[in-house]
Amino acid sequence: MKICIINGSPKAGKSTSGLLIGYLMPFIKGNEIITYNVCKMDFSQIQFSPIQSSDVLIFAFPLYIDSINSALLRFLIELQKRGFKNKNINVYCIINNGFYEGRQNHIAASIMQNWCKAAGLAYGQTLGIGAGEMLPFFKDIPLGHGPNKSIGIAIQKLCQNILSLNQGEDLFISPDWPRFLWKIQASLCFWYPRAKKNGLKIKKLKMFVTNCT
Amino acid sequence: MNILIHDLSNEQFQPLFPRIDKDTCIISDTGTIRHCTGCFGCWIKTPGKCVLKDEYNNMGKILSKAEKVTIISKCFYGCYSPFVKNVLDRSIPWMLPFFKIKNNETHHKRRYKNNIQLAVHFYGENTTEEEKETAGKLVKANCINFYVKNYEISFSKSLEELCGKVSAI
Repeated sequence: MKICIINGSPKAGKSTSGLLIGYLMPFIKGNEIITYNVCKMDFSQIQFSPIQSSDVLIFAFPLYIDSINSALLRFLIELQKRGFKNKNINVYCIINNGFYEGRQNHIAASIMQNWCKAAGLAYGQTLGIGAGEMLPFFKDIPLGHGPNKSIGIAIQKLCQNILSLNQGEDLFISPDWPRFLWKIQASLCFWYPRAKKNGLKIKKLKMFVTNCT
Repeated sequence: MNILIHDLSNEQFQPLFPRIDKDTCIISDTGTIRHCTGCFGCWIKTPGKCVLKDEYNNMGKILSKAEKVTIISKCFYGCYSPFVKNVLDRSIPWMLPFFKIKNNETHHKRRYKNNIQLAVHFYGENTTEEEKETAGKLVKANCINFYVKNYEISFSKSLEELCGKVSAI
């Protein structure tokens, strides 16, 4: 089976979408897999051809302002315009968002469902994962264990559907980690250290921009 | 200040809106906008301002002066057009990186305290009922994240139809 994975993160380097694609790989090995990164694509026909003739398309991307980021949206429009050689392509999505609740990915999942309909493809399933920025901190914890317990179970379910070309109900999950702790850690372990690295004091993060040039 | 974000070409825009209030700030597609790269520089490097060097790097500040924001966008799959979505993606400096709980969901705290009134006018000949439903949910979710209390949304098959629905800008 030919599987094309589209990393829809606008980040050229490491990304949570890339991490989630990595989690997927062991479950779908043995298939012909091609991976693309939307932000590195030049929209040439050479790059589009394998996508147009694949059996399965998997989109992994972050949630931007409740939906799909503009780079991926441009790519989807272009892909629909070019059409597909294989009319029986199944589409699956893994969406991660910065908020705690994976449920907040449901609108992006609907947009992907609408895109499938417009493009004449079969919508398989979406896995929406919350607290995406926290996932790299747990990357050394095996899937299905501790904070990665629900993610492991959900990825396994998604992969079963991918391999059998089945459709499934969308899955929305959050890491197995208390929300109040995640909220505190987001400031203390994520935003403050990064700002400090840039030479900024904490109160500077909340400043207003007064110059509009 | 009123803000109009649209994806129309000059040829489409001029006849539809020949007179624009001088207090209206127009954000249109000059073909130079860069994609948000998710670097969070607007939160942790130059707080409130995007680090990308183009004419759209001060959306946070522009939105901070807004009383009313009008969006005119072609509807794609229940989402905005790529340009309009690009502008919104570049608008996160209006918010802070920190979180708060609203209606049992986490959302970003706001950097600025101005209350925005939002009007979104989608157009497109072939917008399906499912796409309209998705777009409705999207605008509602955007309103929660941008602390918008009052909003309106419309769908038009053509620009002529849309013109009659857009109130004074």
